[in-house]
Amino acid sequence: MSPVSRQWRSLDQLADDPSFVSRVAQEFPSLADALAAPSDRRRVLKLMAAAFAMGGLGGCDVGAPGGHLIPAVRVPPNIIPGLPNFYSTANVVNGYAAGIVVKHQMGRPIKVEGNPQHPASLGATDVFAQAQVLDFYDPDRAAAITAHGLPADRQLLQTALLTQRTKIAENHGTGFRVLTGTITSPTLAKQLDALLALYPAARWHQWEPVSRDNVWKGAVLAYGAPVESVPNLAAAEVIFAIDSDLLSSAPGHLRFARDFASRRNPSRTQKMSRLYAVEPTPTLIGSVADHRFIAGPKELHQILVALAAAILQGAPDSAAPDWVGKVAKDLNANQGRALVHIGPDRPAEMHALVHAINEKLGARGATLDLVEPVAHRPVGQGAPLSDLVSDMQAEKVTSLLVIDSNPVYAAPAALGFAEALKKIDFSLALTLTPNETSEAAIWAVPMAHAWESWSDARAYDGTASILQQQALPLYDGIDVHTMVALFTEPAPPAAQDMLQSTWKSRMNGDFAQAWHDALANGLVPNTASTKTNVSLRADAGSQRPPAPPDRPLTILFRPDPSLWDGRYANNAWLQELPRPLTKLTWDNPLLVAPARARQLKLRNGDRVRLSVGKAVMTAPIWIMPGQAPDCVVALLGSGRRHVGTVGQNAGYDFYPLTGRNDLPSLEKAADSVELACTDHHNLIFDMAGDIVRHGSLLRYAKDPRFLAGGQQEPQLYRWKPEGPAAWAMSVDLNACIGCNACVVACQSENNIPVVGKQQVIHEREMQWLRIDRYYEGNPDAPTSYFQPMLCMHCEQAPCEVVCPVGATVHDSEGLNVMVYNRCVGTRFCSNNCPYKVRRFNYFAFAQEEQRPPESRNPDVTVRGRGVMEKCTFCLQRIAEERITSDRENRPLGEFKTACQAACPTQAFSFGNMADPNSEVARRKQSPLDYALLADQNTHPRVTYEARIRNPNPDLDGDGG
Amino acid sequence: MTAIFRPSANLAATLSLAFVAALLVFGVGWWWAWPRVDWSRHVRWYVVQPVPFSHEHHVAGLGIDCRFCHASVEVSWNAGLPPTYTCMTCHSQIWTNAELLAPVRQSLADNKPIVWNRVTDLPDYVYFNHSIHIAKGVGCSSCHGEVDRMPLTYKAKTLTMGFCLDCHRDPGPQLRPKDQIYNTQWQRSTDTPPPATLLAQYHVGGRALTDCSICHR
Repeated sequence: MSPVSRQWRSLDQLADDPSFVSRVAQEFPSLADALAAPSDRRRVLKLMAAAFAMGGLGGCDVGAPGGHLIPAVRVPPNIIPGLPNFYSTANVVNGYAAGIVVKHQMGRPIKVEGNPQHPASLGATDVFAQAQVLDFYDPDRAAAITAHGLPADRQLLQTALLTQRTKIAENHGTGFRVLTGTITSPTLAKQLDALLALYPAARWHQWEPVSRDNVWKGAVLAYGAPVESVPNLAAAEVIFAIDSDLLSSAPGHLRFARDFASRRNPSRTQKMSRLYAVEPTPTLIGSVADHRFIAGPKELHQILVALAAAILQGAPDSAAPDWVGKVAKDLNANQGRALVHIGPDRPAEMHALVHAINEKLGARGATLDLVEPVAHRPVGQGAPLSDLVSDMQAEKVTSLLVIDSNPVYAAPAALGFAEALKKIDFSLALTLTPNETSEAAIWAVPMAHAWESWSDARAYDGTASILQQQALPLYDGIDVHTMVALFTEPAPPAAQDMLQSTWKSRMNGDFAQAWHDALANGLVPNTASTKTNVSLRADAGSQRPPAPPDRPLTILFRPDPSLWDGRYANNAWLQELPRPLTKLTWDNPLLVAPARARQLKLRNGDRVRLSVGKAVMTAPIWIMPGQAPDCVVALLGSGRRHVGTVGQNAGYDFYPLTGRNDLPSLEKAADSVELACTDHHNLIFDMAGDIVRHGSLLRYAKDPRFLAGGQQEPQLYRWKPEGPAAWAMSVDLNACIGCNACVVACQSENNIPVVGKQQVIHEREMQWLRIDRYYEGNPDAPTSYFQPMLCMHCEQAPCEVVCPVGATVHDSEGLNVMVYNRCVGTRFCSNNCPYKVRRFNYFAFAQEEQRPPESRNPDVTVRGRGVMEKCTFCLQRIAEERITSDRENRPLGEFKTACQAACPTQAFSFGNMADPNSEVARRKQSPLDYALLADQNTHPRVTYEARIRNPNPDLDGDGG
Repeated sequence: MTAIFRPSANLAATLSLAFVAALLVFGVGWWWAWPRVDWSRHVRWYVVQPVPFSHEHHVAGLGIDCRFCHASVEVSWNAGLPPTYTCMTCHSQIWTNAELLAPVRQSLADNKPIVWNRVTDLPDYVYFNHSIHIAKGVGCSSCHGEVDRMPLTYKAKTLTMGFCLDCHRDPGPQLRPKDQIYNTQWQRSTDTPPPATLLAQYHVGGRALTDCSICHR
């Protein structure tokens, strides 16, 4: 029998707060207010009569054939009506590419899948790639050129650029500046180099709000060059992650997650890896670590110095916690199989030290490779922006071109970019959506979306991809390559021609064939950066990171997991995506540690005044279990002032506090606000707390089945669906890192609407798939567990027996199907569902969404108001495979559900359980397999593989 | 004591009661019959089209195969409507000046598609797939009727859920030999292989065809 443990999701639940308990005990807590309100019987009867009448009318079917059929004048090549087409491209975040394949329906992009051939994807996607569908069709995108805030056209722009070209050419580029983000595009790099050669006095500034500057500078300190370090987690047996972004946002994180997960399930891997993490605030990698330590900036410094001493000099430092010595011992004992990784927020000297440690541990060539830089001239990002601003203030800048960057919003406020911009005669901002910078610039030019134009980019390991055009432009945007070229010539060649001229010399063999293959495969073969043979500088190991000032409070500025630096703020899927660890939507309160909250007597949602020098702002707080008490975390990317209808003024803008060295202070303000957190929604009630089963590797070694599902209860009646297939799923809790890619993939595939902040507060969010995050233990330093929750497709489904109209029934292949047209909205099914996975359309959410109908998946019904819905196991994909295999008279083949396809760690496995050779059948044979709430006798078709942790026996006897 | 009601009130009361009874009978009858009447499902209603295209002339008269115009019927859920180019393969050679065909020529000249009016329309929550029905021996005329006898196209069957289920419950009698699928005049005869043979030949029978999830998603 599994160990009984107390698992909790929110702090209120842990504290057994009586008001909380009574609230969540109801299936529809938001109805409590309405039910409590006194209403006279006459009014109730009137409303009921009206509801009957309206319901009867609504059920009438006019039955008339309507509408039109519009065939093409000439059918474009490769398009068969009704069948999808797939075209590869790549999604670029912070300059780095990950391969994707875009699914088209009759020429319209409708879904993003990963590219299995691309090294940074291997078939998986992240949340940003999935959400591109919504960005592409965003009605708020910049649609027209404006000059001085007034409408302009291309002709006027060309005239202005002619003047600029003449002026810039006359003074050899003096006063001409270009500002971009990180660039890995070989074509754009070539263009910029040519531009700078033509105008020698011009300067190119490179800047990202969420910078990887420390990573590159650290590499320069250690190796003399900004070499890129590419970890190979499949080979790593002991990993030490220091405030690391390895699984969440580092370039190549999807690949790292896949490799990491390949060593985490003891029933499938020869030797399970061990992961130590030390961090000031919880991250994805910390949440899945075997040992997680909490350390503020000051302790992190001590720990790293002690670790370096222990590994490089063999003498541990006594000032550091004693676990450091044990971790160092474990790392040392695994020469050639160990890896240390440090995140981009830590100073460059620390990175240099980590490089030295890795060299000493024999990691290079084994668990990590050093390759030639991928980004174009990566070093020195931060400095040039401040240079640019000081030059602007000194009126040394006359012309400024800003490409897909938003410095007015995201530059450290202390720099004063916005004021300096006013002093420039000619400023041009090329942006996808109107933003703060395009608003402040003289010329605002709409940028073509990545799917509307041609480009190229490189992945974390240097592999290049051609980004091919996916659709005709929806708006009159100009692509990046054309924009840069317009500063050198009046009529530049098309972007596609520029790309081909770059690649003509770089592709081997017949160019036409090589080009075609590169487009078809989504990558250019043999373009990965070569391994470098630079040797570690002698002084790398003796780097002394500057000790952080001894402060009672440090603000950590981190990118929002969904909105990144703010560029995705107008994407409703990302805004409403519960953040992996806090489960907050539409908002970014300041994250504070439980200890500090106790000290200031703060509760979730209470407002605080946070000041750094002269900058003061008021924001609500959220208590983050497992955070260092001397840190508060400000998530960047919210509080956009000029972005579009979705993201406008959602959340709080913490950028004004960045870039200041003053001592921050935090004090309680008077009031509090309500936050849209889904943590306490859809709670599963289980008295034993037996929700996420977990145990240690030691116990697993003694008895692999120690967590396996207990005995099924005896029963009188047992009905088993007897179709030709038995659809089932197995979810590996060892693999899930809580990244949310599956949630957005599901939303995109199944036409799931967003509901908005107020409706989320009313517990009406619609995502069919959610990832529950459970805590266990002390709220100051809990262990956390992720558990994806979706419809379990119970063989004995409690929802089906209570439906008065037979709207939810079983089919012969074991699917619990929802017949939308029968549903009358009693919500009995949701009430009776022990897993709380059913979602009800309280309003016409889908109809109210601002997205064109052609952006939806045509194979899935768009649900109307008053209808219950839930996960269908991607029935449309099942149906497609059923039909195709029947048509070809062959057995059912393998296919993937949307969540499974998007998952970077292959946590999901879906298929035909009746076929013993299927992946899902094999996974269900795992000794770790268990059914959630098995005592309810629901016989779920979704089962979980229990989480096994591999703690160091020196540090923790059992750990499980 | 005077009577409250005059004698004529009796008549009024009787008539009222009869009227209510009649209304009830008529209402229930209507409620029962209306969905069962072909007329209410627009069966045999001719639909006016921008070009009065005659299937009778093109199919029966000229012997053009269904798939010449409905090209994706064997591979996709969507049978496909001919693009203007398909019309013009012939009509750039014959009837080049016919008044009737002016919209077709205009469509090609302007590169604007012809907008046809729908004849058959299933609700959006029904996912009918042409290719699987064709592959499993269901002929066009089983649902679309004798299209080659239609000067103007009309809906030949009710296409209600009951209509679909009649066949999904017992598909055998509706199946026909492979070479007769596009023959809209085909009738089951004594030469036709028995339903059981056809079911085996087409490998129909493995699936529960009446599951909701077969047609609804």
